[in-house]
Amino acid sequence: MSIAPKPNCALLIVGHGSTENPDSSTPYFDHADEIRRRGLFSEVHCCFWKEEPSMREAFYLLDADEIYVVPDFISEGYFTQDVIPRELGLTGPTTQVRGKTFHYCLPVGVHSSMTGLILRRAQDVAPDIDPAQTTLIITGHGTGLNQNSTKAIRDQVDQIIASGAGYAAVTDAYMEEQPFIAEWDKMSETPNVVVVPFFISDGLHSYQDIPVMLGIESEVGSAASQREVFRHNPHHLRGKTLYYSSAIGTERMLADVILDQVHDFDQTHKAL
Amino acid sequence: MSHALQLRSFLRSGIHRIGEIEIQSNIYGYPYVLCHHADADLSTEPAFGGLDLHEGPADARDLSTYSEDGTYRFTKGQVNLIRGWVMALENEDDLLRALDQFYPACVGLFLAQQGGVLEIETLREKLNRQTGMYRFARSISDAGAQKLVQEVCGPAHQCAKKILWKIDPATPLDDSEASRFNGIPGDLPESEAIPLLCREACNHFVAECRKVAKAEFEQKQANA
Repeated sequence: MSIAPKPNCALLIVGHGSTENPDSSTPYFDHADEIRRRGLFSEVHCCFWKEEPSMREAFYLLDADEIYVVPDFISEGYFTQDVIPRELGLTGPTTQVRGKTFHYCLPVGVHSSMTGLILRRAQDVAPDIDPAQTTLIITGHGTGLNQNSTKAIRDQVDQIIASGAGYAAVTDAYMEEQPFIAEWDKMSETPNVVVVPFFISDGLHSYQDIPVMLGIESEVGSAASQREVFRHNPHHLRGKTLYYSSAIGTERMLADVILDQVHDFDQTHKAL
Repeated sequence: MSHALQLRSFLRSGIHRIGEIEIQSNIYGYPYVLCHHADADLSTEPAFGGLDLHEGPADARDLSTYSEDGTYRFTKGQVNLIRGWVMALENEDDLLRALDQFYPACVGLFLAQQGGVLEIETLREKLNRQTGMYRFARSISDAGAQKLVQEVCGPAHQCAKKILWKIDPATPLDDSEASRFNGIPGDLPESEAIPLLCREACNHFVAECRKVAKAEFEQKQANA
């Protein structure tokens, strides 16, 4: 889906970021660069909860008077429903803040086009295996604090099953709630297992924590970009052949999902 | 007037530095050339004095992510920007993009301050908005926070930002080298540099507040 150029509008991509892991914000900047190259907006900026510029500093980056805000987050939840609106002063889909008009789009992770990205990522990481002999596991953080954090993943599972992609099984699993990703072998009856982390970046969780839970690594390693030796697929573990992909948010096509959310915002909230 | 044009106007008025970066104009056909200020003499020599040439703003983030010893520069106000590079830029838009990567939002913050529209946030406001494990940071005492500023902020602790915030509206920071610092590293008149402005405590400071708050809590428990 393409959107018409918005030469008088800015795009503000909002991410979590990290004070400890520089890889955490890399995808956001990559997506911003990709969208900037297409010349659709007068400005494209990133801002963060845990990095600079902060969301409140982001206001001072903006020249344009009309701004589309897209949370580069994986689910609707605490950050997209509470933190971002509070930090940017947003009270609804469109808000006037100090003379500027902000349009608040849905987070990338809930867009239906994510399904295609997951399937592509699963295909890329294990191109030669038979889906009929394979379980596809989409894994996320999971938290008891907000039910929405797992809903986005469960929705993707349903859509992939409905898509006819041919996997013997498609299921969800989490770091901190059941079903636990650490038990990936027990939830898979097939010889092959593909695990796709439903995270935006290859930060602490997808690159350091989950590999330990899967059994690929014996201890938490250093940040992805500081690794001399990257992981190699497949891994022969627990009697199965395991393929582990990088986080879905690092997919270059995610830039298109950001634009999809801008398009959908206009379709939903702006009179044609 | 756009940020880029305002920036150009300030450069024409004699500003040539932001943070550790020297901004030079009209060198070997490039309208703008950036480098570490300690490399400024080299950058005007033929072939940029052997400095690594980066054309366009795209590499600014990579150049500013790690210090020379490989440490992650989690706040860009740190005075440990690597040397040995020069960045050639075609226009003010690219200049602004590069500077927004080296020093996120710092040009915009400066322009807002000059225009009298910069909103500043007290430490208490910042701490009271923290969530999850950082929620505990809000229990830090005023005395603990004042001490922490002197232990964490300012050029002696690698941060070159000028602190604009108070502890709360009625409690300014105690006088110290950190609270006095003007946001301009190096010995340069204020008319020649864009200061790095700290309008809200950074996440590193918040994390340190949490540690102090926990220590204060444990001390109270021990004394009880």
